[in-house]
Amino acid sequence: MGDDRRQILDLLANGKITADEAERLILALERSNGNESSGAAGTVSGSSGAKSRPKYLRVLVEGDEQMTGMKGGTTVNVRVPMQLLRAGVRLAGLIPAQAHDQLDQAFSRHGVPVTLSQIRPENLEELIDHLGDLTVDVDGKDGNPMKVRVFCE
Amino acid sequence: MIPWGASVRVHWNRGTPREHRLWLWIPLFLVWLIFLPLLLVLFPLVACVCVFIGVDAVELYKTSWRMITSLRQTWVEVRTGEFWVWVSLA
Repeated sequence: MGDDRRQILDLLANGKITADEAERLILALERSNGNESSGAAGTVSGSSGAKSRPKYLRVLVEGDEQMTGMKGGTTVNVRVPMQLLRAGVRLAGLIPAQAHDQLDQAFSRHGVPVTLSQIRPENLEELIDHLGDLTVDVDGKDGNPMKVRVFCE
Repeated sequence: MIPWGASVRVHWNRGTPREHRLWLWIPLFLVWLIFLPLLLVLFPLVACVCVFIGVDAVELYKTSWRMITSLRQTWVEVRTGEFWVWVSLA
């Protein structure tokens, strides 16, 4: 990187390129060096670096006539942008601190051992990032003809 | 960006000779033109209520704005028998 930058400065000093061109070249150099280092990190960490981030969460629910009583069955298909999920998890940060205890008790009563005060937005962001690897397929069996599929795309 | 409009398609009696279709485009930007200035005007009142209940009013507005701007490209489709509804935000 140092040699490339030196060459650009030499060209500028010799008047072969303008200051504006030199600036653009240096910015392009920094960008390409940044991509190389992040690419290397991705390679070291594994295949997850090469995957693009999912943009949408999809939920598919299918129920047949036996379950819904409607001719032809019922299909519900929802697509939600991941940005909406990221914005939504920040709502948890708006809950007043004095309400945390009451909510924790309510969650515990319903069998969900959650401590709201320990939830941080960055943890939830990490969770949403890992939703990209999530696929849930539920096929109804034994008289339950409903299919549910949750995945990210 | 905030969603400018919502597209609603409704089909009923699908697959029959009496099939009907309806398509509506709802200009959400008109809703925002009224709703968003109203929120700004009400900010002092909202801030007072938020102080009373222990919520950060600025964070509330920022989070609400993020959620509204994230609604674009959301769609919901429901198909039941001969009835089909599709709602999309664009």
